[in-house]
Amino acid sequence: MSLVVRRHIPQLIVTVIIILTVAFYYLYINKGIAESFTTADKALSDWAVIITSFALIVGGIDILRFHLVRLRKEGLKQAPFSAVTIGLLVVMVFFALHGWFLSYADPKAGITITTQPQFRWLYLNVYAPADAAMYSILVFYIASASYRAFRVRNPMALLLLVTALIVIFGNTTIGGLIWPGFLPLRDWIMTVPNTAAFRPITIGAGLGTIILGLRLLTWREVSWLGRRE
Amino acid sequence: MSGLSSLEKVLGSKELLYTLLLLSVILPILHPLGIPVEISQRTRDVYGYIEKNLRSGCRVYIEVYYEVAARGELEPNLIALTKHLFDKGCKIVYGSLGAFGVVAFSLFKSMASDLFEGKEYGRDYVYLGYIAGGEAASASLAKSIKGTISVDNYGNRLEDLPLMREVDKATDFDLVIIVSSGTDVFSYYVRQWHTPYGVPLLFAALSVIAPSIEPFVGAKQAVGMLVGQRSAAEYEVLVGRLGLGIASMDAQSTSHMLIVAFIIIGNAIYWGKRVSSKKGGSK
Repeated sequence: MSLVVRRHIPQLIVTVIIILTVAFYYLYINKGIAESFTTADKALSDWAVIITSFALIVGGIDILRFHLVRLRKEGLKQAPFSAVTIGLLVVMVFFALHGWFLSYADPKAGITITTQPQFRWLYLNVYAPADAAMYSILVFYIASASYRAFRVRNPMALLLLVTALIVIFGNTTIGGLIWPGFLPLRDWIMTVPNTAAFRPITIGAGLGTIILGLRLLTWREVSWLGRRE
Repeated sequence: MSGLSSLEKVLGSKELLYTLLLLSVILPILHPLGIPVEISQRTRDVYGYIEKNLRSGCRVYIEVYYEVAARGELEPNLIALTKHLFDKGCKIVYGSLGAFGVVAFSLFKSMASDLFEGKEYGRDYVYLGYIAGGEAASASLAKSIKGTISVDNYGNRLEDLPLMREVDKATDFDLVIIVSSGTDVFSYYVRQWHTPYGVPLLFAALSVIAPSIEPFVGAKQAVGMLVGQRSAAEYEVLVGRLGLGIASMDAQSTSHMLIVAFIIIGNAIYWGKRVSSKKGGSK
């Protein structure tokens, strides 16, 4: 019974959803059926939206549970990080709920979750600078890596370096002062050789998605159930 | 050859490179060099498409999907595009498939408050807020916005907003613009909006992800693409509203030139050492 509930029923639901989605998208019998298919397809999409919204709540609870366990089981080395995560999670949820409450209690004030003053302050003054700093630090690593990696050791490395220099000069205003041809040459590199390289990757990813769908349909893919094959 | 080795050691120190890089970014912002911005054909094509195909009263959907880390590159693009669309008399519906888009939109609106002066919320523009569900949400919105969500970001009922009485599904829009720091979102709109309904798409992407979505533009699944800071600066010049895009171009130029200088010197040292070692010099 446990195997049926935990494995076969979820797989059966996925199989039915895949068959229905493919049928709704590709099958055309007549106009009336097509319209009812469109309505049913919309209902499926709406279910996905609703399920995702609830999944966000589950995700939040799971993060809280994970860090509470870690706080209790692991030593002082990890505890401060978990404590900060839990503290900020609780504080942000509290202010978000306050904003949500105000949006209904006093709609004329125009306060919502994201415009709740304390929520907004924390987001803009704690999260935003930390997020921007993490991204900005990348430039230092990239600069250091470029200096070390771009060594012309063979003809292929020379080709890579020349291409990189053209794109760099094309992305700067100084490049245009040095030689006006950098900009159109950069555009050519992006639209012709780059596209030629990325198109097979895109097509490959599409084929991979189809294969994944077929594996789900035939119950060969079980990793989403939290199990290895 | 000890001279070359010493120079390599000095240049190889991260402290020197990081300090110079920091200065090359900060100094041009404090003292702009004013290097003229040449406008690329690709940016002209995007500008030309909007000029040629959109008329007063047209309806445009804009996906705002970037976190604050990507704000420096994408917000100037969004501001310049919004300015162009409002100048053309277009009405805009904004939406976000990412939760961070809500704050990004809020910051964008406060940075470009002049653009929204004289514009009435609900009639000239609407912000739907965050819509959970990723690609499924995108597919659902394409079929019916009002069938997917009933209120906007501020709790207003969509049925009460005049603009939302004019638009509901993908085919009601003359253009869809995706301003995104994530690669997947572009694919969502190609698969769920362009392929089934033929809605024209326009991309505004980060420089680092632009190469991976270039095939969509090449296959005419998007009418064009604005890439990073450079395109933002060019578009600001075209629409006549200079902002953060053009202000950052000098810093981008000097920092890139610094990296190029380091690469060239690094190679000169490498080849100097290699040639001398072949001649029997010290390694």
